[in-house]
Amino acid sequence: MINIVGRKKIWFAISSTIIIVTLLVALIFGVELDIEFRGGSLVTYSFDGEIQKADFQSVIENNLGQSISLQEQEDVVTGKVNYVATLSSKEGITPEKQEEITTALQQKYADQNVQVVSTSNVDPAIGHDFFVKCVVAVAAAALLMIIYIAFRFRKIGGWSAGVFAVCALLHDVMFVFAVFVFFRIPISQNFIAVALTILGYSINATVVVYDRIRENKRLMGAKTTLNELVNTSINQSLTRSINTTVSTVLALAAVCAVALLSHVESIITFAFPMLVGMIAGAYSSICIAGPLWVTWQDHKAAKKAK
Amino acid sequence: MKKVGKSMFFVILALIIALTALSFFGLYASYGDVTTTYIKGAGDIRWGIDIRGGVDVTFSPPEGYDATDDEMAAAESIIKVRLVSQNITDSEVYTDYNKDRIIVRFPWKAEETNFNPESAVKELGETALLTFRENQDGPTILEGKQVESATAVVNAENGEYAVSLKLTKDGAEAFSEATGRLIGQQISIWMDETMISAPTVNSQIPNGEAQITGRFTAEEAKSLADKINGGALPFKLQTENFSSLSPTLGIGARDAMVTAGMIAFVLVAIFIIVLYRVPGIVACIALLGQIAGSIACVSGFFPNIPSFTLTLPGIAGIILSIGMGVDANVITSERIKEELQVGKTLDGAIDSGFHRTFSAIFDGNITMVLVAAVLMGAFGPPGSVFARMFTAIFRWFGPSATGAIYSFGFTLIVGVIFNFLMGVTASRLMLKSISKFKPFKKAWLYGGAKND
Repeated sequence: MINIVGRKKIWFAISSTIIIVTLLVALIFGVELDIEFRGGSLVTYSFDGEIQKADFQSVIENNLGQSISLQEQEDVVTGKVNYVATLSSKEGITPEKQEEITTALQQKYADQNVQVVSTSNVDPAIGHDFFVKCVVAVAAAALLMIIYIAFRFRKIGGWSAGVFAVCALLHDVMFVFAVFVFFRIPISQNFIAVALTILGYSINATVVVYDRIRENKRLMGAKTTLNELVNTSINQSLTRSINTTVSTVLALAAVCAVALLSHVESIITFAFPMLVGMIAGAYSSICIAGPLWVTWQDHKAAKKAK
Repeated sequence: MKKVGKSMFFVILALIIALTALSFFGLYASYGDVTTTYIKGAGDIRWGIDIRGGVDVTFSPPEGYDATDDEMAAAESIIKVRLVSQNITDSEVYTDYNKDRIIVRFPWKAEETNFNPESAVKELGETALLTFRENQDGPTILEGKQVESATAVVNAENGEYAVSLKLTKDGAEAFSEATGRLIGQQISIWMDETMISAPTVNSQIPNGEAQITGRFTAEEAKSLADKINGGALPFKLQTENFSSLSPTLGIGARDAMVTAGMIAFVLVAIFIIVLYRVPGIVACIALLGQIAGSIACVSGFFPNIPSFTLTLPGIAGIILSIGMGVDANVITSERIKEELQVGKTLDGAIDSGFHRTFSAIFDGNITMVLVAAVLMGAFGPPGSVFARMFTAIFRWFGPSATGAIYSFGFTLIVGVIFNFLMGVTASRLMLKSISKFKPFKKAWLYGGAKND
C-alpha cells in the first residue's frame, strides 16, 4: 500500500507551487480574453497563389482607417495559407464595412480569388455579459456539487467532504487555467466548457474515493485511525482512478493528435486543456481531496481536545 | 439477484448490434422516387453552423433606444419574413426581451456557391417597408409610417380572432378614400416584396380604425399584427455580433473529428481488453451500444422526433464519453478482480462486483448529469428545457451568443445516461450470462488467479 495521506505535504507543495506560478505568470504577462468575451473583429481570407502580407494588410488598413494585425493560418481543407486579420479596436466592424473591404481586396487581387472564409464580430457589451454568465455557470455548478456531495455523504461529515471536494475542483480548474496561461490561448467559451467538464469528472473520481471511505468506515470499525481509513480507501480505488484516466486520456489524445495534424484550432484549444484537466482531476482526487479532508478532521479533533 | 440465462449474452449483443446498425445507417424504404424514413441514421444528423458553415448574427435597436416588448416582437417577425423570402428555411431566431437582442442563426443555403453573408445580414436588419396596395399589386394606398399600431384582438360579436389597426391622421384619410372606392375588392398588405395578407374590403372605413378578420387562430392574428407593426418600427436594427463561416472549413474539421472518434474507440477498446479480458470485451460491446445510443439521440432516431444540432464540441462530447464511459466497467471489473482475490466464486464475485459499486457509479454519473444540465442551461437557446430550469440563475445574462457548447452539454448528458444503461445494466447481464459458458468459466479471465 502506498502511503498517500502520509505524504500529503509533498502533494500540497507541488500543487501550491503550480498554482502560484500560474497566478504569477497570469498577473505579470496578463491573460488574453478571446474576442467572444472582450469584443472585437476577426476576419479570415482565403486566396489563390501568393500575396505579399504587408500589401494585403495595407489594403485593409487603408479602407478601415485603423491598424490591424495579420497572421497566417493553414486551411484545414485546402492546406493553403489563409490570412487572419484581427482588428485592434474593440468595437468590431459592420457587415457593410466588411463587404467594402472584401470588394477592395477582390479588385486589387482580381486574379487571386480573395474570399472571406470566416468572420467573427462581437460587441464588447455582449461579450462582457457572456463572460459573466459563464462565470456564474461555473459557480452554480460548483455549488450544486457541494450540495449533492454533502447530501450523499452526510455520514462521513457531508459538508466538509463537499467543501473539500470542491477545493480539489478549484485546484483542477487552476490547472486547466495554467494550460491557457502558459500556452497563451485566449480564454474563450472552450475554457468554460472544459472547466465545467473537469468539475464533473473530478467530482466523479472524488466520489469513488469517498464512497470507499464510507464503506470502509463500516467494515474497518472504530479502531482504525482516520489516516489509515482514508489511505486504505484511496489505495483501493487507485487502480480504478488510473485506468479510467488512462482510457479518457487515450480518447482525448486521439482528438488532440488529429486536430493538431489537420489544424482544427477550435478543437485543440478544447481537447488539450481537457486532457491536462483530466490528469489533474485524477491526481487531485487521489492526492488532494482525501488528504485535505484528513487534515481538516485532525484539525477539528485537535481543537476539541484543547 | 434474478437468474440470468445463458442466452442473455446473445440477446443483448444482438440488440446492441441492431441499435448500432440502425443508428448509423437508418432505415429507409423507397417506392420509386419516394423515400420513406422509418429510422433516421447518422446521415440525417443536423450539423451546426460551425460545421456546415453559415451565419450567426445578433441584432439590436440603436444604442440608447429602449425598445418595448411589442417592438422587439415586431422586429423578430420582420426578420422571420425576410429569412423565408431569402429562401432560408432552416434558421433559428431567438429574441431576448430583457436585453433587447435578437439572435439569428442560419446555415449556408444548399447548393449555393457564392453566398454573400454580409449582404444577407444587411438585408435582414434593414427597416421594413410596409405597404397597403390596391388589389393584389396595384398602387400604394398606405405606408408603414401611417400605421400607428396593430394588435391582435377577439372580435366582440362572433368571438373570432382579428387584427385591429389604428392609423395616423393622414393614414386614416387615405384609407377612408381607398376603402370607399374598393368595396368588395381586396387590399393587400406587403412587407418589402412579400405579401403578408390580402383582406377584402367590406365597407368604407372613415375613422382610421380597421379590423382584419379571416378565421385566424390566436397565433396567426398575433403574427400578422407583429408583421404590420414591424413596418411601423421607429428604428433600424443594428448588427452587434456577426460571424460567418464558409462550409468547406467546417466539414473538414468534422471529418477530422470523426476520424479522431474512431481512433479513440479502437485505442480504448484495446486498452480495456488487455486490462480486463472478458469483462473488457463486454465493456467494448457496452461502449458500442453507448455510442449508438448517443448518435440515435442526436439524429432523432424516429422520424417524428426532431434531430438535435450537432456541433464540433458536440462531437468532442461523444468522444469524451467514449473515454469516460468505460469508467463504470473499470470500477466493476476492478471490484470483481478484488472479490476473486479474496476467494469468492466467479458467480459471487460478479454479483458483488456490480452490487457494491452501484452507489459509486450512480453518484458519479449524477454529478456529470448536473454539470451537463448547467452547461445546457447556460449555453442553450432561451426556450430549451434546461434553459427554463435555470432561468432563475441565468435570466439576467441573456441568451448565449453561440450554440456550439450547448451541443456538447447534450452529447455529454446523453452519453452519461446511455453509459448507465450499457455500462451497468447491459454489462451485468452480458457478464453473468457469458460466465456460464464453459470456456469462459475460468477465474483468470476475470482477473483472478490462474490455477483454478
